[in-house]
Amino acid sequence: MNIALKEIVKNKVRFSILGSIILLVSLLTFIISGLANGLSQDNASLIKDLPSGQLYMNKEAEGTYNLSRIDPDIQEKINSQQKEAVAFSIQMGFLNDESGKQRSVAFVTSTESKLFQKVKPGEIVLDRSLEEEGIKVGDTLTHDQFSGKLVVKSFVDQKKFSHAPVAYISMENYKEIYRTEDMQLVFVPTAESSLLFKDLQSFSNRDFLKTIPSYSAEQTSLNMIIWFLVVISGMLFGIFFYMMNVQKIGLFGILKAIGLKTSDLFKMMWTQMLFITLSALALSITFSQLFTSLAPKDIPFILTIETTLQLAAVFLIIGFIGATLSGIQMKRVEPLQAIQQGEV
Amino acid sequence: MLTMDNVRKTYVVGDVKEEILKGISMSLHEGEITALVGPSGSGKSTLLTIAAGLQRASDGHVLFEGENMTTMRPEQVRNIRASKFGFVFQFAHLVPFLTVEEQLILMLDVSASKMKKNETKQEINKVLQLVGIEHRKDAYPSSLSGGEKQRVAIARAIIHKPKVLFADEPTASLDSKKSNEVMSLIRDLTKTLKMTTLIVTHDEDMLRYADHIIKMSDGKIL
Ligand SMILES: Nc1ncnc2c1ncn2[C@@H]1O[C@H](COP(=O)(O)OP(=O)(O)O)[C@@H](O)[C@H]1O
Ligand SMILES: [Mg+2]
Repeated sequence: MNIALKEIVKNKVRFSILGSIILLVSLLTFIISGLANGLSQDNASLIKDLPSGQLYMNKEAEGTYNLSRIDPDIQEKINSQQKEAVAFSIQMGFLNDESGKQRSVAFVTSTESKLFQKVKPGEIVLDRSLEEEGIKVGDTLTHDQFSGKLVVKSFVDQKKFSHAPVAYISMENYKEIYRTEDMQLVFVPTAESSLLFKDLQSFSNRDFLKTIPSYSAEQTSLNMIIWFLVVISGMLFGIFFYMMNVQKIGLFGILKAIGLKTSDLFKMMWTQMLFITLSALALSITFSQLFTSLAPKDIPFILTIETTLQLAAVFLIIGFIGATLSGIQMKRVEPLQAIQQGEV
Repeated sequence: MLTMDNVRKTYVVGDVKEEILKGISMSLHEGEITALVGPSGSGKSTLLTIAAGLQRASDGHVLFEGENMTTMRPEQVRNIRASKFGFVFQFAHLVPFLTVEEQLILMLDVSASKMKKNETKQEINKVLQLVGIEHRKDAYPSSLSGGEKQRVAIARAIIHKPKVLFADEPTASLDSKKSNEVMSLIRDLTKTLKMTTLIVTHDEDMLRYADHIIKMSDGKIL
């Protein structure tokens, strides 16, 4: 006979309240995690989509990519050693569409590499989000610092930088617009952090993301909220079972007197904790997946089932710890004191 | 069945040591009710809980079926409590979220009785009939009267066929009619199930149900 479940059935309201709070907290956590991931894609998918490797900027830039200038000689030297190496630049700027409307984009240009779009002078390749805003292949776009025209050649999926759609242009056009011969960054795929070059500072992909000011600010604050919610849910379990257990001290004493083991009492509590958490998580996973498929497109929201399950596992572990800590009092209960206490 | 030999119990409260039991020796016998009487505070409950393995004596021996309980490991004592002892207290102390029938199933689970499922049902029905509460089988404790609760508590105390039944003031929360019913029930069960019963009471009226009477005062047997 499972007395843990019998208690839940007899005290439906009490346990449903805990279940609903866990449901809400976990759902909120899933949604914020989806938002954090969505924002991070929106902010830096250009970099996040690169295979793991090392990024280099010059030491004088002190970690600010748009102050970095890679000396052409060094670039040449790297290229001769590392066949896959690619030099590239990112500049925030504006494009005017045919109706004269300004569009904020991140211009990207690079040496030849399959990791970046190859674009001929006078052409431009854009992120898909601009197509959704009405720009079509063949449209002619202009730039205030550029004498010629840029014809839209194609669109690519999900290439963003600093929340702006990426616009790939040719090296020649880039040099004219920004009046510079140097590239800002060099990327060497599959390189280890031990691969160093003179006068260059190396960054892993992850470390480079952290140098984008808005990126760290967003991710740190959202991740803080997520962990805060996880800790709160653990405390909820602790407090809930603590209060339940305090009310049941007398009962525990009697159960121990008639021969129940302390471990039986713990198993009872763990069963209840598991039952409540699993039901609540099943619902909140369903809701969050529903939200993923129903959320409007312009909300940057990406929640994979893997992330959801990972967070769900964290909730289970935290719930277990919370409940177990509050259960220490069960161990201390003496059968005697309960008997002398009177009716429970 | 159960023998106590020169049992002493000292409580230490703060700096004060107080000897509550001052060398108690007695024997309990199968099929007989032994009643422990005496004024409040004379140490009756302390003696019963030591005999029942709910706390340890400071000195002396408690022998159950020839084995010394005072030197056993706690797990061994718990095992004896679960399978060989039954308990009834002043209050029924039923599990609030279990039905009458489930209270008994729980006790059978705890005592690790190896009854089969249909046997269990039969046994439970038999015991509920014995204590006269079979019609409240599916009721929860909150809907039972004081007398009914105490009957369920007695049913729980005997369902696993214990060797010894310990009852500490089982009638103290009942009126005299109900008290007499409960006492004659305990007497009948002791006789039919051949239990060894130790009962604590301060109600002189209940003594007529006992086979032996032990009078206590100030931690000593008179
Ligand atoms: N855990 C304890 N700590 C200290 N003193 C106790 C404890 N339990 C009982 N006593 C004392 O022991 C004495 C006997 O108590 P008890 O055995 O309950 O008596 P009775 O059941 O005869 O009324 C009382 O004076 C009581 O205050
Ligand atoms: Mg007493």
